[in-house]
Amino acid sequence: MAEFNHENGAREAEPLPIWFFVGVILLVFGVLVLAGDFVGERRPTVLAETRPGLWWGAIMLVAGVIFTALGLVGRHKG
Amino acid sequence: MVRIELAWLDWSIVVLYFAAIIGIGLYLKKFTKTGEDFFLAGRKNSSWVAGLAFLSANLGALEILGWTGGTMKYGMFVSHFYWVGAIPAMIFLGLYMMPFYYSSKIHSVPGYLKLRFDEKTRLLNAVSFAVMTLLMSGINLYLMALVFNVLLGWNWHASMWASAAAIACYITLGGLMSAIFTEIVQFFLIWFGLFLVSIMGIIEFGGVANVMEGLPATMTSLWATAGSPDENAMGVTWLGLAMGLGFVLSFGYWTTDFLVVQRAFSSKDLRSARLTPITASFFKMALPFIVVVAGLVALKLVGNPDSGFALPVDPVTGEKNYDAALPLLILRYYPTGLVGLGITALLAGFMAGQAGNVSAFNTVWTYDIYRAVINPKASDTHLVWMGRMTTIVGILLSVVTAYVAMQFNTIMDYIQAIFSWVNAPLFATFLLGMFWKRTTANGAFWGLLAGMIVSFSIFMGFRLDAIGPGLAKFLTLTEHPSDMTRNLWQASWAWITTFVLTIGISLFTTPRPDAELIGLVKGLTAEPDDSRVAWFRRPVFWAILSGIVLIALNVWFW
Repeated sequence: MAEFNHENGAREAEPLPIWFFVGVILLVFGVLVLAGDFVGERRPTVLAETRPGLWWGAIMLVAGVIFTALGLVGRHKG
Repeated sequence: MVRIELAWLDWSIVVLYFAAIIGIGLYLKKFTKTGEDFFLAGRKNSSWVAGLAFLSANLGALEILGWTGGTMKYGMFVSHFYWVGAIPAMIFLGLYMMPFYYSSKIHSVPGYLKLRFDEKTRLLNAVSFAVMTLLMSGINLYLMALVFNVLLGWNWHASMWASAAAIACYITLGGLMSAIFTEIVQFFLIWFGLFLVSIMGIIEFGGVANVMEGLPATMTSLWATAGSPDENAMGVTWLGLAMGLGFVLSFGYWTTDFLVVQRAFSSKDLRSARLTPITASFFKMALPFIVVVAGLVALKLVGNPDSGFALPVDPVTGEKNYDAALPLLILRYYPTGLVGLGITALLAGFMAGQAGNVSAFNTVWTYDIYRAVINPKASDTHLVWMGRMTTIVGILLSVVTAYVAMQFNTIMDYIQAIFSWVNAPLFATFLLGMFWKRTTANGAFWGLLAGMIVSFSIFMGFRLDAIGPGLAKFLTLTEHPSDMTRNLWQASWAWITTFVLTIGISLFTTPRPDAELIGLVKGLTAEPDDSRVAWFRRPVFWAILSGIVLIALNVWFW
């Protein structure tokens, strides 16, 4: 991501790719949603037996890991 | 009344979201030094980043709540707003208009009007856009506080001031870059936070076919019941949909509204800028899978008294609150943790829409009003400072507008029509300006002004009951038009007025020499050359693919 600055011969700092931030947020929220399935207060919901917090939280967590990795790879490519 | 109680885990997600967006703003501040950085995010974005931001700037929580409830009233006709009412315009913007916008290196949409026509046309558009944006921003803030007050019991003033302060903080720090980053975060939060509602609804009914089964044809078709206003709940015809929504309102909004177009300006090159709306079009087409599916699930549940699902009814007016449909579904299906995610998705939707308005406002004010009229010699550093100050002032004015809206609820009726006053006639001005070199500055200015006046007059005529059945039939093809029909036709009349008057006046006034229009008008500008780019990277390839998907969806749900 860094660009070479021909005037001062230094590499200009570039912000981390947005995918990194998306990844971290999905990862953290995925963990919290997942945690809700185990330790959250039990509220009567329809289809509770399908445990949506468990599998949706897991999907978010995996997506979070992928996007975080994408962001870090994008950062190092530059 | 519905009241969602948040557990500590849900609150953790809401609080972490606030911390994340303010943290992103703080992080991006050190990368925001020049005017190009602050107002155009450095023009470094890929088409993916710009495309998702382009879509997210338009994807507000109000729209999602409103159209989920709207599906309960109008059925699949709501999909028209996502498909024919958006996709053709987005493709047209990417293929045909973006080369003029992007290549002229302008900072804003009114900036093009200055280059192509003159200062007075730019100022007319800049002032009307600034007023419209502030109104939208204030109303958005007011409705956000209303939704969270009703659903969560949050304090009005605290909701408004907390979200306004967070937005002011991260936009002042990072400018458009901050807005784009948070818009993309919002995009993912909306999908992860709300798509699960549709999935759970489909699981409960055992499949999409079962959700649709038993619903009347008016609820499950797109065009089959558009032959007459009496055949569909929206009270519109295919002509009104195609002309008013699919052409005038849609093209007016998607091709000229700086709030969305600004995201394409942040692209790193012309190809990425052209791909921006085309990339966004695929995600736009997918949104009915959240909004319409959730609305149909809610409709099906309401029809079954044993489901335990009922919309709240206003004790005074007796009207059902359709906007509560989505929050009720969240409450029905989401356990602790997921509720926090769903509420955060709505919160993010409100705040990103707000941030989009503010970042567009600060650019138009700084470049098209302040530098154009007040301080033409302002340095780049001064303009960045002005942009930051304008952000804070814009947010404060939005809060004031929100308090006004709280006192005068009728202001909401005006907001529904505001796009037809500003964007619909503006599209005619841009169409002629970009594609007919004979268009003159006086033709553009007076045509635009007349179109805005006609649209506003028709709106007020209906509102004050000054338009009788005969004139109503002439204007809208029906004696008793629905609000939706009025809106579509007043936009169409505004467009026709501007189009015809601009041509007429241009023919009697002197056009600018061709040499002054190079890069601004088709025929005098080099066409984008994609011959050296692989076919699967060309905007036209993705545009054709988007068009095919659009046609397939319309045929499938005909």
